Amino acid sequence: MASMVLRIPLAALVVAIGLVLLPASAAPTFPELTGRVVDDAGLLSPEDAEALIAELKALEDKSSDQLVVVTLPSLQGDTIEDFGYQLGRHWGIGTAKLDSGVLLIVAPNERKVRIEVGYGLEPILTDALTKIIIENAILPRFREGNFPGGIKDGVRDIALALTGDAAEVEDRAKARHDADDASIDWVTVLIYLAIFLAITYWVHSRPVDVSRAGRRGKRSSSSSWGSSSGSSGWSSGGGGFSGGGGGFGGGGSSGSW
Amino acid sequence: MMAFARVRPGGVARAVCVMLAGLALAGCGINTIPTLDEQAKAAWSQVLNQYQRRADLIPNLVETVKGFAEQESKVLTEVVEARAKATQVQIPPDILTDPQAFQKFQEAQNNLSGALARLLVVVERYPDIKSNQNFLALQSQLEGTENRIAVARRDYITAVKDYNTELRTIPGRWWRALLYPDAEPMQNFSVAEETTKVPKVEF
Repeated sequence: MASMVLRIPLAALVVAIGLVLLPASAAPTFPELTGRVVDDAGLLSPEDAEALIAELKALEDKSSDQLVVVTLPSLQGDTIEDFGYQLGRHWGIGTAKLDSGVLLIVAPNERKVRIEVGYGLEPILTDALTKIIIENAILPRFREGNFPGGIKDGVRDIALALTGDAAEVEDRAKARHDADDASIDWVTVLIYLAIFLAITYWVHSRPVDVSRAGRRGKRSSSSSWGSSSGSSGWSSGGGGFSGGGGGFGGGGSSGSW
Repeated sequence: MMAFARVRPGGVARAVCVMLAGLALAGCGINTIPTLDEQAKAAWSQVLNQYQRRADLIPNLVETVKGFAEQESKVLTEVVEARAKATQVQIPPDILTDPQAFQKFQEAQNNLSGALARLLVVVERYPDIKSNQNFLALQSQLEGTENRIAVARRDYITAVKDYNTELRTIPGRWWRALLYPDAEPMQNFSVAEETTKVPKVEF
């Protein structure tokens, strides 16, 4: 049994209880989601990053879970817990249907690390489990200054935890292929349709020029709805990775070294 | 062929067109109040959810600590009692619009938070507990739950803010007067004076 380091952040827990009562702070500026590995703090070499990206992509292909690694030069005055769930929501990691996103966040300057778990994966990546991963796989390496190693081991363990139960993995993978719910607001559509018909009727009851007597009948009013007002525009350019609209509720755990 | 069309239908159609345009424009306002109301209620359910989750963790925590530190009965009893009070608080259906009921609920939960914090301060003095696997797992779960409570509260505060603002501004005011006379502004969490001071943890 791996021995757990005695890092009881009781003060942190007590502070967390106090923080529960503080009002919401202004949203920080979030980094861009440039890919599955966002290395803004420059901890990973290009080869490391590429190897990680391949692993993360394989995980998503297998189970539809989106695991993103992000390193931050600064937490901008927020706690990593605050920053974590807001970043997860901002990027929308994980599928909208299952909220199956996970973020591995490393803030080397504040010496904090966090595994932020989306709503849907909380039963699998429990707080206790993520704490164990942080304490046993990630922090020992970080304390030695080996950031790439810590991140790699963390990703490996998270992926293991996520893909442990083959049946569960299949179920989650299936959900990705389900079509998105196209919830059309029928009331609005009908109203617009009615307006359009009314306008059409109005236009065609106006007096027509005599000089065009040669032309019989109405001009065909070609109804061009134009491009549908799609509000879902996942820009899948530049690497082809984007969040699926998953939600986060503050699950997961943090560690510091 | 006669090319002049009659003007009469044009008048009717024009009136219909204007009416419908008006409806469409106003259409976006009619549904806003109920939508925001439902969002706030959903956010509240999530808050209750997470508070319940915390309450569920506590018996385990108390048992684990008792196994090592029986003599700390005062603090342990305090936690058990605070939890009982918090879970027994009646949650009336109109809690969101009833200031007293909401206040009582908040106080009960804040009491529990305080008792928990004191328990953890005491645990600090017992290295055996701190190295116990059970306790460590419980502690991480407790941390996670406190975080979730914080997130749920923030989501609720945002939802209530949107709803209350809609009720107070135009055209929400008019829709409320016209269609939703029962809509009341919802209660929001307040920060009690003593609790803003984070208890000091002495090592």
